Amino acid sequence: MDPASRPAVVIDNGTGYTKMGFAGNVEPCFILPTVVAVNESFLNPSRSSSKANWLAQHSAGVMADLDFFVGDEALAKSRSSNTYNLTYPIEHGQVDNWDAMERYWQQCIFNYLRCDPEDHYFLLTESPLTAPESREYTGEIMFETFNVPGLYIAVNSVLALAAGYTTSKCEMTGVVVDVGDGATHIVPVADGYVIGSSIKSVPIAGKDVTLFVQQLMRERGENVPPEDSFEVARKVKEMHCYTCSDIVKEFNKHDKEPAKYIKQWRGIKPKTGAPYSCDIGYERFLGPEVFFTPEIYSNDSITPLPDVIDKCIQSAPIDTRRALYKNIVLSGGSTMFKDFGRRLQRDLKKIVDARVLASEARHGGEIKSHPVEVNVVSHPIQRFAVWFGGSVLASTPEFFAACHTKAEYEEYGASICRTNPVFKGMY
Amino acid sequence: MILLQSHSRFLLQTLLNRVQNLEKAIELDFQWVEFDDVRYHILVSTKNPNVLLLSVSLPIPPPEAVFTGGLPSGAIEAIKAAYGVVVQILDPPRDGFNLTLKLNLSKLPPDEEHRHALLVKIASVREVVLGAPLRVVLKQLGSRIVAPGVGRLIALVHRPKESFFIVPQVEKVTVVFPMRFNDSIDTALATSFLQEFVQARRAAGLNNAPPCLWSSTPPLEIKDVPPEALSANAGFVSFVILPRHVEGKKLDRTVWNLSTFHAYVSYHVKCSEGFMHTRMRRRVESLIEALDRAKPGVEEGKKSPNSRSFKRLSFKDTRSNSNS
Repeated sequence: MDPASRPAVVIDNGTGYTKMGFAGNVEPCFILPTVVAVNESFLNPSRSSSKANWLAQHSAGVMADLDFFVGDEALAKSRSSNTYNLTYPIEHGQVDNWDAMERYWQQCIFNYLRCDPEDHYFLLTESPLTAPESREYTGEIMFETFNVPGLYIAVNSVLALAAGYTTSKCEMTGVVVDVGDGATHIVPVADGYVIGSSIKSVPIAGKDVTLFVQQLMRERGENVPPEDSFEVARKVKEMHCYTCSDIVKEFNKHDKEPAKYIKQWRGIKPKTGAPYSCDIGYERFLGPEVFFTPEIYSNDSITPLPDVIDKCIQSAPIDTRRALYKNIVLSGGSTMFKDFGRRLQRDLKKIVDARVLASEARHGGEIKSHPVEVNVVSHPIQRFAVWFGGSVLASTPEFFAACHTKAEYEEYGASICRTNPVFKGMY
Repeated sequence: MILLQSHSRFLLQTLLNRVQNLEKAIELDFQWVEFDDVRYHILVSTKNPNVLLLSVSLPIPPPEAVFTGGLPSGAIEAIKAAYGVVVQILDPPRDGFNLTLKLNLSKLPPDEEHRHALLVKIASVREVVLGAPLRVVLKQLGSRIVAPGVGRLIALVHRPKESFFIVPQVEKVTVVFPMRFNDSIDTALATSFLQEFVQARRAAGLNNAPPCLWSSTPPLEIKDVPPEALSANAGFVSFVILPRHVEGKKLDRTVWNLSTFHAYVSYHVKCSEGFMHTRMRRRVESLIEALDRAKPGVEEGKKSPNSRSFKRLSFKDTRSNSNS
């Protein structure tokens, strides 16, 4: 049977979480932390073992290569025993450790999705700043190890735009604000093509919010066991954080009605098993605030997110700017804070209106310009918008024609994976 | 991680999720595919959140395997025996599928442990349906019933348009798998893997495991099979299942392991390919390090482009060597 008649497998490997599933569904089958637990106790045998023992060492190496876990199981293993070390194969949106990545894919395909990779086309994602070499590596692993019949490596921001793709509106022009766990990118896309020269990054991402929440809780002296504090901070961030419209007002609100705003966190100490509880206060709104007022978190002069978005659009070709302002799409788990989109839209509108006013004043009020429409789009599926976009695209018939096939790979080599054409279904 | 579990992980996750949030009416419509081309479709409507429709489509059977009404023989009885009142078989099944089950989640046993066990069983629907004929034969072996079909060859489907063969006898059942792979590297790896597999069986610790044999030509047991069903490029593996392998709880595991033997081998072939790649990458890296160390007085800036172009070249070399 032809592999193109089966649904394609869509895997979106993010720094924090990997989303995987089959094309044509609305939700990914699994959302797993991108982490591999490797047993390295075999690999560093004591110095005393002599060279004569090479066979034992060799088989120990083989064992170490087989003994690993991924995802939530990896986290659980590393907590319960200290023979496993956690490896994060992706750092800041780029694959860092290819061995770990290959194992991760292997487990995803065989143990989670339980599919035969020879039967399905694959759609993988990468960040817009990934080097072509990394796509070659990906292609090599996918074609050589897994024998996939076809592969397409899509830019995740383009997929995030495609997530808003409905039959009535096929807008493939817009700015994607992709705030993941490890990287924040602002990517302008025109008609499905990324405007590479205008991509901007902010050195603040989801992980920084977690670190900031952790720092705030530590400084206030909350009773959290130190070995668990990062995990607690992450949970607090995911469950309780929200975006406020004005910090001063928010502080006042919290001080007036602490009972309403301060939440409780209950947990169990991992070592002793004793229960503990702590308060969650200002960090609820201060966490996400680092995107808008980065000075509260870092001493480096980081530009706030709305300013960077504005700069990014201003550096794009002039004929695309209005369309870009009109369609600013959020994607990534760290844009899930309540009212994040509204706050962003308000701040951006302020900047744009100020510039329009200034230019009108310069012309002495003779020329009136059209008001610029600023529109920040938030989906209900923002957390896996990239995956959803991939699922939509991979279920169009054009997808299979745009894929690099195994035959092409064998004919031309891994270099074909460097470019992945924009195809018809995209716009 | 080495053995495939009999339940579909996603199906179990969905079922557990559904059972925990029964009062919440959510619409669910999922389709996915597992190895050997088994398709699943799950449907829950907001109107009736207690009812879950699960459709399964099986691999297309080859001409020699017997299918009655789109299902392997004995499948309906096996479903009824395994699930009881919770599951109802819909006839005709959903368009494009072989079997549609109507699960009534409100009829699940109230006791936590039983409920979980039943959900795991539902998630292993593939084992129940596809393994049904094999289970019947092995059960007869376990209870040493002399069935009328003794000595007659049975063909069972396990992959699209491919089957494996069982020869039931009174004291033993012989199972023969023709192994086929699409890729030449896979074929080579699988052949050596299977030979090792047979060797490993001879180890002292595995005396109780089923005897297994590998040969490049069809074994005598299946001499009556039409030759077109016997085109195997990685040889034939046969297992001899004795009554002690199907006692009590072992039956389920034996059925599952036999009916997914091909998937098991292909999983291992992929793993070893990945393993070799890892080794190759490490080797190339260490060689590059050694070369870099040997270079006299190279300034930092020049190092990286040089090493990279070398890396790519050597990587291909290693690969073409391994291919040949």
